[in-house]
Amino acid sequence: MADVITVPQVQPVQPALRFLRVIPGVLLLAAVGYAGKLLEQNVGGYAKAHHWTFPNIEYVLWAIVLGLLISNTVGVPEIFRTGVATYEFWLKAGIVLLGARFLLGDILKLGGVSLVLVAIEIVGSLAFMTFLGRLFKLKPKLTTLLAVGSAVCGVSAIIATKGAIEADDEDSSFSIAAILALGALALFTFPVIGHFLHLSDKAYGLWAGLGVDNTAEATAAGALYSDAAGKLAVLVKSTRNAMIGFVVLAYAIYWASKGQAQAVGNKVAFLWQKFPKFVLGFLLISLLATYHFFNKDQVGALANLSRWAFLLTFAGVGLRTNFSDMRKQGLRPFAVGAIGEIVIAAFTLGLVIGAQKLFHF
Amino acid sequence: MSAEVVARKTESRWKLSLDTWAVVVALLLALLVRAGVFKHIPW
Repeated sequence: MADVITVPQVQPVQPALRFLRVIPGVLLLAAVGYAGKLLEQNVGGYAKAHHWTFPNIEYVLWAIVLGLLISNTVGVPEIFRTGVATYEFWLKAGIVLLGARFLLGDILKLGGVSLVLVAIEIVGSLAFMTFLGRLFKLKPKLTTLLAVGSAVCGVSAIIATKGAIEADDEDSSFSIAAILALGALALFTFPVIGHFLHLSDKAYGLWAGLGVDNTAEATAAGALYSDAAGKLAVLVKSTRNAMIGFVVLAYAIYWASKGQAQAVGNKVAFLWQKFPKFVLGFLLISLLATYHFFNKDQVGALANLSRWAFLLTFAGVGLRTNFSDMRKQGLRPFAVGAIGEIVIAAFTLGLVIGAQKLFHF
Repeated sequence: MSAEVVARKTESRWKLSLDTWAVVVALLLALLVRAGVFKHIPW
């Protein structure tokens, strides 16, 4: 009898089935996030009633810590994973809705300052990470991915660049693991340093937006400090995100010129494809709020909707962070990332303190 | 061109990125709030 090789048939997943598959994970995000909110309300109240000295821990930190505990102890079962991965969706929807709390004039004023700082940060970070990658003899495309991840916007930038420069899956997993691990560390270190240096909400928000790579972690690191710092961190991070197309295009052209990636055809279409559309949504809602399309109560309702979306995001940040998975990715890219991040954090802190003295905020 | 290929081409033309979906959902929610469907969102 002849050997028979059975090729599994790939069945397209129906949209309704795809929708059903995300429900368990979204419910888990909601449960973890809401538990964080309950802990914020009750632990503080309980400590106060018993005259204990206990710091006021915000729901942001509770949600992340609960997520981290689940992910690193019992793990996230397969059935929840698709839904947990939607935290990026909630993050972007939350940022768009947050636009209602910004007047366009503020965005132009703050955006102008942050645009200059973002440009300096991107050029400095790309140059330094490239130098570090060469010093540690990392593969050139891995160095590019780490540089883009640190300079622009974490995981999204790495994924966008991977496709454009035709990098290996292994290189992008290394870079993503390094950026996520360092983002998790930044969540806990940035607020401590900010309080230690008595940074104002504005200065800290600018720093978190400039220095933390992944948008979810930058949002959380800002919100952990204060509401005002969280708002500014989102604005600055969105400015950084808006630069993604230009940086990826530059690297795509560079690698194509070396014959190691496909040439970019229509550059405008390429920029549009890579441009984060949620930045446009954020500006549109802000424009509508500026011209009083929403009344005061409606702005309050939109701000609360944005908080609920962020609640799911913060739970997702904890749930998707698994330290043992990250350890498996190896030490060298992590070491390059860690040295790079420390230098970039110090560099951006210096930029912010300099800007604070110059612009008196 | 087979019907399957045509269907796939049509599907990919209408496939929105995660980013775009997030914007669409957020704008829809904002319109519902503006229309008074959601009057109060508690926190």
